[in-house]
Amino acid sequence: MTFNAEEAHNIVKDCIEKILSKADYSHDKVNQWTAAIVEQCLTHLVKLGKTYKYIVTCAVMQKSGAGLHTASSCFWDTTTDGTCTVRWENRTMNCVVNVFAIAIIL
Amino acid sequence: VDELQSGEETSFVVDEVSNIIKEAVESAIVGNAYQHSKVNQWTTNVVEQTLSQLTKLGKPFTYIMTCVIMQKNGAGLHRASSCFWDSSSDGNCTVRWENKTMYCIVSAFGLPI
Repeated sequence: MTFNAEEAHNIVKDCIEKILSKADYSHDKVNQWTAAIVEQCLTHLVKLGKTYKYIVTCAVMQKSGAGLHTASSCFWDTTTDGTCTVRWENRTMNCVVNVFAIAIIL
Repeated sequence: VDELQSGEETSFVVDEVSNIIKEAVESAIVGNAYQHSKVNQWTTNVVEQTLSQLTKLGKPFTYIMTCVIMQKNGAGLHRASSCFWDSSSDGNCTVRWENKTMYCIVSAFGLPI
């Protein structure tokens, strides 16, 4: 069993677009958006019915010229576990979503 | 019976991990100002150092570390995470650090094998 990164990538991209595509960065709404993005991505991933544990993280940043760097490092079973990162942006904000999937060994 | 009483912990200990993260952040970036050319190296150093200290603990865990460094210039940044796992054994820990020129957010997730 290996992690299908492409499938996860499509799921995440759809979730982000549904929530952010027509919006401009708004301090009041961002909390709501990041929570909705991670919850929806998680729900769709779980619906795939595979025996995986998932961790989904999302960062939304206002575009203002600041630099942002993210890194991640994982200590796991490289044959069964996997990750997928989706970067998205519009005129006023950047969004980075990471999905980490760890196989459940029964 | 002896094995059950060996005392090996298989749950995620937040304080221990939080200290490890703080030490890694301090040794990698304390005293530095945000520099575009060095940030890549810093984020990598923080995650790799934390990961190697965590694995040295010798616990049978799968670990995931993420690190975000952002320059301070007034922009807003929001981070969220959601996990589908076994809440009795799996755990996470997030450490936020800042200085005059940048923010650093490090998250660690641990899942026993």
